[in-house]
Amino acid sequence: MATTAHESTQTHADVTRDVIGTLSAPGKGYYILLASVSTALLIGIITFIILLKDGLGHAGYNPPVMWSVFITTFVFWVGIGHAGTLISAILYLFRSPWRTVVYRATEAMTVFAVMTAALFPIVHIGRQWIFYWLLPYPNARFLWPNFKSPLVWDVFAISTYFTVSTTFLVFGLIPDVAAVRDHVTGWRKKVYGMLALGWKGTDEQWRHYSRAYLYLAALATPLVLSVHSVVSWDFAMGIIPGWHGTIFAPYFVAGAIYSGVGMVLTLLIPLRKALKLEHMITDYHFDNLGKLTLFVGCVLFYAYGMEYFVAWYSGNTFEQTTFWRRAFGPMWWAGWAMIINNAFVSQLLWSKRIRTNLTALFVISIFINIGMWFERYVIIVSSLGNDFDPWAWGVMTPTMYDWGILLGSFGWFGLWFTLFFKHFPIVAIQEVKEMIPMPRRKGAH
Amino acid sequence: MSDQTPDNKLDRRRFLTVVGATGAGAAALSGCTTDRVQKLIPYMVGNEDQIPGIATYYASSCTECAAACGLHVRTREGRAVKLEGNPVHPVNRGTICSRGQAGLQGLYNPDRIAGPMARQADGTFKQIEWTEAITLLVTKLKAAPGRVAVLSGQAPGTFDTLLEGWTRAQQGTLTRWEPFGHEPLRLASQRVFGRDELPLHDFAAAKHIVSFGADFLETWHTPVEQQRGFAQSHGFTQGPTAKTVYVSPRMDLTGMNADAWVRVTPGTEAILALTMANIILSERNRAPADANGLRGMLGGYTAEKAAQQVGVTVDKIRQLAREFASAQPSLAVAGGVGTQHREALELCAAVHLLNYVAGNVGTTVKFGAGVTRGDGYAAIERLFGRFDKGEVAVLLVHDANPLYALPKSGQFAERFAKVGFKVSTAAVMDETAMASDLVLPSLHPLERWDDIRPRAGVLGLMQPVMEPVFAGRHTGDVLLQTGKQLGGTAASVATATDYKTYLQNAWALEAKRRRAADAVQFWRDALQRGGLFDVASPSAPVRLSATAQLTKAVGATFDGDGAYTLIAAPTLTMSDGRGANRPWLLELSDPVTKITWWHWAEVHPETAKELDVREGEILELTTPHGTIKAPVYIYPGIHPGAIAVPLGWGHTAYGRYAQDRGANVLDLLGAQDGNGFLPYQSTKVSARPTGEYRQVGKTEGNNRQLGRGIAEMMPVEAAVKGLSLRQFYEQEGHAEHEVNTEREQGAIEGFRESQLEQRKRGGYAEEHPQWGMTVDLSRCTGCSACVTACYAENNLPTVGEEEIYRGREMTWIRIERFWEGGEREGEPLEARFVPMMCQHCDNAPCEPVCPVYAAYHTVDGLNGQVYNRCVGTRYCGNNCPYKVRYFNWYAYNKKAFPEPLNLQLNPDVTVRGRGVMEKCTMCVHRIRGAQHTAKLEDRALVDGEFTTACAQACPSGAITFGNVKDPASKVVAAARSPRGYHVFEELNVRPAVTYLAKVRHTEGQS
Amino acid sequence: MFAAAKPIPGVLASFIHIDGAVDAIRGLRARGHHDLTVYSASPNHELEEALEHRISPVRLFTLFGGITGVISGLAMTYWMSLDWPLLVGGKPIATVPPYVVFMFELMVLFGALCTVAGVAILSLRKPTTGILYDEHFSDDRIGIFVPCPPDRANDVEALLKQAGSVEVRRAA
Repeated sequence: MATTAHESTQTHADVTRDVIGTLSAPGKGYYILLASVSTALLIGIITFIILLKDGLGHAGYNPPVMWSVFITTFVFWVGIGHAGTLISAILYLFRSPWRTVVYRATEAMTVFAVMTAALFPIVHIGRQWIFYWLLPYPNARFLWPNFKSPLVWDVFAISTYFTVSTTFLVFGLIPDVAAVRDHVTGWRKKVYGMLALGWKGTDEQWRHYSRAYLYLAALATPLVLSVHSVVSWDFAMGIIPGWHGTIFAPYFVAGAIYSGVGMVLTLLIPLRKALKLEHMITDYHFDNLGKLTLFVGCVLFYAYGMEYFVAWYSGNTFEQTTFWRRAFGPMWWAGWAMIINNAFVSQLLWSKRIRTNLTALFVISIFINIGMWFERYVIIVSSLGNDFDPWAWGVMTPTMYDWGILLGSFGWFGLWFTLFFKHFPIVAIQEVKEMIPMPRRKGAH
Repeated sequence: MSDQTPDNKLDRRRFLTVVGATGAGAAALSGCTTDRVQKLIPYMVGNEDQIPGIATYYASSCTECAAACGLHVRTREGRAVKLEGNPVHPVNRGTICSRGQAGLQGLYNPDRIAGPMARQADGTFKQIEWTEAITLLVTKLKAAPGRVAVLSGQAPGTFDTLLEGWTRAQQGTLTRWEPFGHEPLRLASQRVFGRDELPLHDFAAAKHIVSFGADFLETWHTPVEQQRGFAQSHGFTQGPTAKTVYVSPRMDLTGMNADAWVRVTPGTEAILALTMANIILSERNRAPADANGLRGMLGGYTAEKAAQQVGVTVDKIRQLAREFASAQPSLAVAGGVGTQHREALELCAAVHLLNYVAGNVGTTVKFGAGVTRGDGYAAIERLFGRFDKGEVAVLLVHDANPLYALPKSGQFAERFAKVGFKVSTAAVMDETAMASDLVLPSLHPLERWDDIRPRAGVLGLMQPVMEPVFAGRHTGDVLLQTGKQLGGTAASVATATDYKTYLQNAWALEAKRRRAADAVQFWRDALQRGGLFDVASPSAPVRLSATAQLTKAVGATFDGDGAYTLIAAPTLTMSDGRGANRPWLLELSDPVTKITWWHWAEVHPETAKELDVREGEILELTTPHGTIKAPVYIYPGIHPGAIAVPLGWGHTAYGRYAQDRGANVLDLLGAQDGNGFLPYQSTKVSARPTGEYRQVGKTEGNNRQLGRGIAEMMPVEAAVKGLSLRQFYEQEGHAEHEVNTEREQGAIEGFRESQLEQRKRGGYAEEHPQWGMTVDLSRCTGCSACVTACYAENNLPTVGEEEIYRGREMTWIRIERFWEGGEREGEPLEARFVPMMCQHCDNAPCEPVCPVYAAYHTVDGLNGQVYNRCVGTRYCGNNCPYKVRYFNWYAYNKKAFPEPLNLQLNPDVTVRGRGVMEKCTMCVHRIRGAQHTAKLEDRALVDGEFTTACAQACPSGAITFGNVKDPASKVVAAARSPRGYHVFEELNVRPAVTYLAKVRHTEGQS
Repeated sequence: MFAAAKPIPGVLASFIHIDGAVDAIRGLRARGHHDLTVYSASPNHELEEALEHRISPVRLFTLFGGITGVISGLAMTYWMSLDWPLLVGGKPIATVPPYVVFMFELMVLFGALCTVAGVAILSLRKPTTGILYDEHFSDDRIGIFVPCPPDRANDVEALLKQAGSVEVRRAA
């Protein structure tokens, strides 16, 4: 198995010590972080309670724009998740060496992002208290959900995605938790001991474990492609010009990974500093993440180009008007924010100097996050705003309630992530060790 | 309340029953206030003509305007729930306008006062007992013999007789007054033909129509009747349609429906009319012999001279005259409030002459119906003159609101105050009531006995359709009681104890006059019918009178030196301001500007550039008589030299909905005028942009079609040839690109067939009717009666201005108004109307996307929407290409119907809660109702035995509804028209609604 | 820390060097000690080869789960559509293409859950309770536990030491 120069300097003992070291008692900074994310979440909760009480009217909906910020944010968070699974599962199958150190963080991000996304269908529907009617359960009248509706596809896709990626995360954690168990004392030992599910790392356990891990990765891989394809069909299955496109599935998957990698960078760069993992997560990793970003960025660039080209080439007046107004209509600013932030900014990553300059990388990742949110906002709101019947056209402007919910979603995600990296190894101990050769009596083999 | 027993046989046999009596039903209702009304169900005592769950219909008459259409009042469990047209009534023939339907909200208006109000020393009002109120009035009257005056706005009828007698008994003066009295037309008739009345116009017979600013589809004369006639002559059947020309500085709804709009300089219509008359007279001689006497008088009006004054080319004027003369019979009308300028009398006279020389008088213009609208504005000036002189000690104002409807500049409020004791019978505290000393709230016409005689040959009856909602009292009873207490001649006038008896006595005489065998039966039949209607309205031959020679036109004069002419425009919704407290009418977007809930100032695009204002910027409008502010609405349909502001807004009282809503354009007008009418278009106005903004709550998104074929139009020539739209476009050289080949078509059809096969499961495998609809755009005038009908039938909530800013109106059926042309100078501006409602598509895009089957396809082809299944994902709304699905963003149902407005709700239709999607159901409850009745009577449904609320109301008969599987049905016949098309056909959603292209005279426009 | 069953007699040795551990395993197996328990902090190919493990049967669980998922996905959607036929958008009442989504999702879901279940079941076949364990094994050491009666313990111990074990313990 390929190993690279920087890792050989470490021994297994170092790895254990460093990683478990990140679980030490938190400092002031951590509590400040915790407080801020909790506040954000609280704001979100209050906003939601008001919407629940009075109705969705408070949000900026302006028919014909009947979906706006909430669905935008839903797609945004689902998208975030994908990079995690990509790195942890697909790159695992490809035996890509650089994933090992970062995958735990990204997988955690996936799970929490999906948890965040899963809230939005509930926030967004008109009668939130009966959201479960979308599930196929034997109700009083034995009326089942409509399996032709992309929204029901969503329910299954998202819940499957959540379950599988959670399983994948927890499964990967078991040996590491065992390691933590063996290196802490007192009540924490008891707790981690229980979480370790009696893991001892015997040959028999490893035998089944590594196989199972392989299959889980193999199962998670198509999910990366499928989940966002399904989400994209929420739009592609609609007949609205600007939605009804055959490129949507790949287009959205690329976008998802792009936004995900962006979020990975946004999280890892400060995390690395805070947890003093500089010697584990190195330029080498960011360089590779940068390359990945650049690649999907180019795919997006192509997709954007294609959207406009097809609209023009179709000769379909509805399509053409929609895309003309996307670029020069009342929402031109959003349209350009999306194209510049995503298609153009990523092109900077051709230079290795930028890829390895963490400040630059961080700034770019922020641009990407904003850009990708706007991409969904533009696709949803601007397409709905000017569809077939000109008489019904309208432009929506978000209200503080929209922003409140958006902020809340970041709080919810942040809270989980913050708690996670303080209580579980943010770097996969066992997998890192796997890449460091054990010492030998008679020199190298 | 009643001694009549209803005709039970009728009642049980027919779903639609018109019961003859006052409702023994209503008799069961005890008490007055709404909560007690609600306690009525279940009935303790079973009741003859009230079967819970079954509607009872009472015939009555509409009093929302002076046209007095016939009503069928739909009541359920003792509450009126909808006003519909009386099919046998000669004026409206079963149809009804928006204002008429909104009368229901006058009945249930939450601001109606609960009893008599007396002004206290400190100026405030205190509610008192009726007996006390009557005594007070009597004492005041006793103290003021000969110094009594009465101002009545109620149309002629038995009540008027009583009122007249009562007034005479006090040696008082009775002034009858209708704000939109069309005095110029009446005076002109007097001058030209020596007849002191308004003529009736036969629009149906006319082959060519020229209106000189007479908004005959909105407020002028008898709108519903005229719209029906207009639809017959101007709507397309096979032959060419009646070309309609609208001559006015402002294109109002009537102008939008004309084939050509002649934009004349304000105040010059009369010159054009006389010039046309002159040309006709000199060029051809179909005119009656005595018309030759006019040659001298008309001679001076040459096309060349007129061209400069009027602002229309010489050729155009000649063309107008020739077209008018060549089509026989033709019809010219004038006298609309919007063009009631200082020369309005001359204009109406000129138009009379024009009709006369073209030989239309007697054919399309008929005299003899004795239509009058009050005593005119001159009488008002006389009345207030008496106030000034202090000749009036007691004033009774009935069914009129002079302090709102008269210009402030006339000091009417101050002069009104000079009267010692002022009594109003207003049911809502309007401006006049607020200034009165005693308010004796009258009963709403739907709560009382009365009759109305809008014209000879039409005598409409009114009966109480339910127990009064508030403790008002019939003014007739008040008169009788006061009369009794006053004694003397007054007592002799009060020939009955209560007004109902008085009315029946009057009708007994009528029965005798008509030699009816049984007076009671006569009365009962009349009640069931809704009144007495003679077959043909009488027509008297007329000749020119010498005074006709006096007619002359030089162009109207205007006060002040502002840059623009002020047009105080009457609108279909507000009319003279009566509509201002009806939420339905406020929420109903104005047919012309599509603005709701607020007034506006119409400004021509060029003028807007000149003033550098954008839509919504507030203009300060100043005339010598006053100043008001109004937000700009940029409107291509107005003369650049004019600014139009709608009438009817800016009440200072009149309830929560009307009060302080907008500004009253009358504040800008002068009042003193010797011509015998109030000149609504008489001042110049200067406009100053204030820089402040107020968003206009319009329901219009983008008013251009962008060539998407939503509102299609065909020139009359093509339509006469029977071309289909596609053929027409091919002929025009716009053939479709990439038409499918036979093979492709075959493949598509084959696929569809296979899909249809796989649909045949469960109920879908059986035989069911398929409901469909056609909308004939050549008949639709955009009057929006269907919209109000839908609000009434389907319990649509009014959402208010704030929500409309965000496009959240709940109009299940909306009238889209698209502009064509008018972008370059000289290019004619055309308006097209499309009623847009759920198209009930076969391949409905909204259905498959609903995760919970709330939207699904019923077995009879409807696009069903299950409210209590809906979770509110709104995916259906997004995916609907017609954007006809409406979402309950808030609990609109909670705030739209403050008590007792909630009583107007139709029990047959769910009131939707918050968070669910709703839309047009094609009145599914009516469909099921009819099907159930048919089943009970063990028979098949008969085509046309029921229809949707919109189709039922439409005065033009533009909407046809029925079973498209029944080859004999009217809807199938209509849909077969070559003009038929589907909106967005290319989407292959297969709508159940077929539109028939509009037909226009496109040649020779300017 | 788990319910410590009666300790199994045997020898526990820990190694720092991988090749030492491998030699020890080979030696022990040569002497007929097949029932070894080898601890390591991460999976290691050399150890697996030395122990001559067969591929884990966990994949059968995955396969089973996947197939069940596909079938139930189709069965559920198709039956539920026909259970109450409702027409939407003029499309066939029950139709496979949109249901492929459910077949796929349930395949992944069931597949993953069965895999995890498989690991649990298979691991329970050889419980780790009662045999000696050292916390260094989750850090940087390799452990080998040789169950053997006390009489044979000595030569086992000798073999382990000779292979380079840094620490040897006995469980009596």
